[in-house]
Order: sequence, then structure tokens, then C-alpha cells
Amino acid sequence: MNIQGKGKESVTYDAIVVGSGVSGGWAAKELTEKGLKVLMIERGRELKHIEGYDTAMKESFDFPHRNRLTEQMKKDYWAGIRTGYTINESTQNLFVKDIDDPYEETQRFDWMRAYHTGGKSLHWGRQVYRWNERDFTANGEEGVGIDWPIRYKDLAPWYSYVEKFAGVSGEKRGLDVLPDSDFQPAMELNCVEREVRKGIESNFKGRYLTIGRVAHLTHPTEEQLALGRTACQYRNKCIKGCPYGAYFSTQASTLPAAERTNNLTLINDKIVYEVIFDDEKKKAIGVRTVDQNTKKTEEFYSKVIFLNAGAIGSAWILMQSKSKTHPNGLGNASDQLGRNIMDHHLGVGASGAWEGFEDMYFFGKRPNGIYIPRFANWGSDKRDFLRGFGYQGGGSRGNKGAGDLIGAELKATYTQLGGWSFGIGGFGETLPDQRNRFTLSQNKDQWGLPIINFDAAWRENEWKMREAMESEAAAMLEAAGLKNVRTYHDKEKAPGIGIHEMGTARMGRDPKTSVLNANNQVWGAENVYVTDGACMASSSCVNPSLTYMALTARAADHAVNELKKQNI
Amino acid sequence: MVGGAITAPSLAAILNSCKSPSDSAASAFSLDTDQRSLLAEIAEVIIPKTDTPGAKDTGVAEVIEILLKDCYNEDQQKHFMAGLKDLEEESKKLGGSFVSLDDANKMAVLLTMRDKARAEREEADKVKIVDAETGKVKEDHTKKDPPIPFYTLVRDLTIFGYYSSEYGVTKAFDYSPVPGKFDPCIKVSPDQRAYS
Repeated sequence: MNIQGKGKESVTYDAIVVGSGVSGGWAAKELTEKGLKVLMIERGRELKHIEGYDTAMKESFDFPHRNRLTEQMKKDYWAGIRTGYTINESTQNLFVKDIDDPYEETQRFDWMRAYHTGGKSLHWGRQVYRWNERDFTANGEEGVGIDWPIRYKDLAPWYSYVEKFAGVSGEKRGLDVLPDSDFQPAMELNCVEREVRKGIESNFKGRYLTIGRVAHLTHPTEEQLALGRTACQYRNKCIKGCPYGAYFSTQASTLPAAERTNNLTLINDKIVYEVIFDDEKKKAIGVRTVDQNTKKTEEFYSKVIFLNAGAIGSAWILMQSKSKTHPNGLGNASDQLGRNIMDHHLGVGASGAWEGFEDMYFFGKRPNGIYIPRFANWGSDKRDFLRGFGYQGGGSRGNKGAGDLIGAELKATYTQLGGWSFGIGGFGETLPDQRNRFTLSQNKDQWGLPIINFDAAWRENEWKMREAMESEAAAMLEAAGLKNVRTYHDKEKAPGIGIHEMGTARMGRDPKTSVLNANNQVWGAENVYVTDGACMASSSCVNPSLTYMALTARAADHAVNELKKQNI
Repeated sequence: MVGGAITAPSLAAILNSCKSPSDSAASAFSLDTDQRSLLAEIAEVIIPKTDTPGAKDTGVAEVIEILLKDCYNEDQQKHFMAGLKDLEEESKKLGGSFVSLDDANKMAVLLTMRDKARAEREEADKVKIVDAETGKVKEDHTKKDPPIPFYTLVRDLTIFGYYSSEYGVTKAFDYSPVPGKFDPCIKVSPDQRAYS
């Protein structure tokens, strides 16, 4: 796009969407479908559907190091490697090279970033769960953080709306703790998982095991087929990008929907670092950008702005958006901007062996596991900590391996079927805590923009909960009949490791204690909406992306109505 | 870097390091012709040609060299080279260089190296600080892990190199790149192999 020499109208749109990940894609789809001319600005490179997934059909032998981490990669991706599974030879190009774009750690923070069209929607975990009613009321009831300004009933129709478009497969269980979605057919449990389900549900009242609820197509709708999406092929190579469009991503889903309206302009490589606020008009009028390659700065203008740059990115933009009216950053009269970082704490659970089913196997690689919904502090269950946790995991069997063998015996044994095993790992709710925050460093990045400095930690409630996550995992597996049950508890990993960072520009009822109102509008700059993880007032223990989708669709509807009424 | 806070000076170092040659992790590690032949022979004993291809047929030694060069630090590389030398010493006790030995003696040398690896690992474990009350090894992040013993590493890399090769993935395992469906419970015969 060449806009040099053209007038301001050539860089003026009805709406600007900053970021093209899960929530940005939804903002672009909804706003364009409602007739707005939308500019979507992505700070990373262009990455096209299918042709951009250049490793999706490759095998280990197609890579010089057989898909292993090199010493160079350990330096280049010093944060990215901390998960232990996201960075390898086949996925490295879908993550930020930390060494080129570093951040600071007053306390360790495990920040996973993906700067390209589609953002993390290309390699997210695809687990999608509705929040329950108490997820929205617990803060207010317990006096933790601030009360959510909305309730489950405000979001329920929007959950349903986004589920039908995105495609969610799962099993209806009718549980208050885990409200059902509008499901496509569930993926099935394997032999061992069925037995473990029986074992857990018969031994523990109020505990359930169900198949993971995933944003994968198992029975695509006409609308999904028309967008070029097909049913899951059971390759379980999702993290490299799906050429079948079988799981929800920006490229497979929201981007083609937005593009077919002819109302979307997508530009890449431009880092939005500031929202331009007009002190006289008392509203935002556009954004300032710097090109990641040429370092040229440029402004774009619009009536409404959606920030979907990720929880950290969106708050980082607001912090840099200082004006006479907003001297402390846009919408930051409360000083809450950048605070209350939450994530889900994980890396704790148990696994064991299943004896039997030697003659049973499965066909296909199900890109999904099992889910055990929260039971702690639910119903009659009471704990010495607040909130709860869910478990994800599954049963499987692989090859027998080498043991101590060598030579022909090793060859004869290695690829034989090994025994079945079953394991679960907890995902725990994190409480909002003002001390958990990031600030802007005095140091600047290669574009002259302030580097982010994290200062966040797991606190007492999380550590107490983790003990229960470990012991309850073992108790359930043992009761279900698994043998050699072993627990694990990784205490080294820091916030960010769940890649569910959120809470840095929370929604609330009062500009004195929050950054956004009940419609995701920035207090005092109501034509700016933030609908990614930044907006969250609490974290629940379920995976958050479905809630970001629903909040975004709801906010886009609000924005278009407000524009029509000329309120913004 | 892991676990540490980045202070301003070290951050500046990171920022500047992109352009500096010292940033490159590329190592000078390489094997000479004799060492390459030796490694290929060792790998072939670990995974010999039978009615199916062996380590030599699938280029395992070449992959091991690339992995050693790019995926291990200098300490580990030196430890590996010392192990190769030690293996040759052990071979001489049985009559000559490893490549000149018959199959039985080659195997005997590797089993000797296996015993040495076990002893080495036990020695390293003794050095770890054990908490008297819990019996658990205390976490000490300042200490680096000891290098992997020669036999352990060469065997692991041979197995990895073989089963990640095109033959290993597509023939040794049951290969189904696009299953297209998921059957959760199927009955299989005793000779069913695992999926790659």
C-alpha cells in the first residue's frame, strides 16, 4: 500500500483494528459485516492461509536437525523455549525472536509472542470453555479485585453466536460449573479414558471427565464450508498451521469472512504504539505507527478503534497514549493500566499406567484430550484457598522404546506397542493482584519504543491451590485404577507460561478502579474498545479465548450501534 | 538467561549482540574422516542392518555430527570426543582399532563403554546435594548439569537419528500422515507397530 502524497482521506477509515489474532480477527469480521470500512493493522509480517504454513506437511527428516532445538535457537528464543514445546525447527518462524525484540524481567515472566497475520490463533491450544455464572460474581462476593460489570447472562447469547461461527466440538454435560456450548459432534474418548471416566465419576461426587471442548470442525456447517474450511483430519500437527482450516484461526475463519465483505484493508509490518487523542473533541482520532522494517512513522485515522494487540500489547499502547486529558496514559486515571496481570498456573499434575487393553489401540491422532472441570470450592467442597482449577490430559499408548537394548534386539523391540498411560495437568485460576504488573522501561527497542518490564509472581493463593492440584490429581488417578501413579510439580515456571496473560486494562464499573467500562470502552475515550485479554477482571480457570471472542462480538455490536446513534 | 532478571547493562548487551559475531552459537565442532568412519561403525552396532536397513543405510552418523555441532555446548562436544578416544583405547585392548574388530568384539567394547557410562552417572549423582530429611535432591540452579556420558549420548543419538529418518518415520513405524478420521478403540494384532 502506497499512501505517500495522498490526502488524509486515504488513511481514514470507519474503524481501525489493532492486531489480527483471535480477538482482532473477530473485531474485523464483525465490524466489516456491519458495513464499516475497516483497517486492520498487524505489527508482524504477512502470513497467508495455507501457503504460509510452510512446514505443515513436513516430517522430522525434512529438517537438518530433525526438528530439534539448536544452541542458536536457545539464544534467539530465550523466552520462547521456556514452555518446552512451542519452539522447534518446524515452528520457530511462527514466534517472535526474543533476541531481536527483548523484554525485561524484574521478576521472571514467560512471555510467548507471535507477530504475524493471525498472531497466536495459528498455534493456540484450541480448548474453548464458557465461563460459568460464578466466574463473573466471585470477585464481588469475595472482595477480590473489582466486581465484573457484566454477568454470564450478558455474554451467553454472544457465546452462542461465536461458537456457531467458529465451530466447537464437545459433549453436552449440563453442568453449572462448565456451561455447555453450541456443539458440533464430540471427539471420542479412547478405551482407557472411558475407564478412567467411570472410575472418577463413581468415586467422587461432583467430579466429571469429558472430552476436551475444542474449536475444531467435526461436522462443518454450510457457512464454514463456504469459507473453505473442512473437517479435522486428525494429524495433530495443528501448531504448524492447518492447511485444512479445520481449527479456528484468523486465517481460516474470521479473515476470509471479513475479506468477502470488501470492507477490509489489512496492512502488515506496522507497529501501532499510540492512540491519538484529541483533547478538544474528547475522543480518539487515530493511531500512530512505525514500520518494523523501514522504521517510517505514519498515522491512520478512524471514528472507532479496537485494540486487540494482546493483553500486554494493548496496555502498552494505552500507556504510551498520553494527552492533556489522559496524562497517565489513555483511560488510566485509576493507575490500573498494566496491573493485575493474570495467567493460568500449570505444570502440576499426575500420571500413571493402565494395565490391560493390550490388544486395543486407536486410529488417527486426536488433537485433543480430556477435561475435568473445576470441583474445588464448588458446591459443598471447601478449601483453604479461593477459586479452583480444572485438569487437561488424556490416555494414550506409544512405542515400547529401547530400554537397555542394543543391536538387532533393539530394532525388533523399539516400534512395538508399549503400554497405556494416562495423565492430567492442572490449570489453576490466578487472582488479580495490583502488585502483578508491567511497566515501561527507560530502555528502548530497535524502533525507539519503550521496552516492557515485568514484575509479577504467583502469590499465596496460587501456591496453596497447587498443593491441592497435585494431591487431587494423584487421588483421582489412583481411585480410577491407574498403577504407578506419580505426581509432578514444576515450581520454576513463571506467570506467562500458560500463554493466557490477561487483566492489564480491566473492565469495571468505575473509572477510579478500572480502565474499561462494561462495554469494553476506555473510560474517557469511549470510541476506543479493548477486547483482548487485557479487559479481564478475573481469570476463571478455563481457557480464555472463547470469552475474548464473545466479548469482542458484543463490543463490536455496541460500537456500531453507538456510531449510528452518534454517541461516539 | 533462564530465571534471571535482565538488568540494564545485560539488556544493552542483548540489543547490541544481534550484530556482534560473538552472538553466533555456531560451533567449530567437526569430525575428521577417521572419526566419521568410527562413528558410523559404532552406530551400526547399535542399529545394525538386518532384513531392514541399519544406521549406515539411513545416514545416522551424518545426522549425529550435525546434532553434535549445533545442538550441544562445547563441554558436551569435548566430552563426546574424549569418549570416542576412550572407545578406541578399549578397542586396542581387544586387538586393534574399533573398525577392525569383529562383531562380537565391537559389541564387547560398546558394553564396556556402557558400564563406564553407568559408573560415570553414579559418580555424578553422588555429587548432588541430598536433603537429609526428605531424601530429595536439592535444587541448585547455579550448578550446571554434568555432560551426558559418551555411550548414553551416542546410543540416544543413534536411535534418534535412525527413527527420525525417512525410513524410520515412514517404514519402521506405522506411518499415516493424514488419517482423516479418529477411531478411539480398535482391536489390533500383536504385531501392530506404534504410529510415528
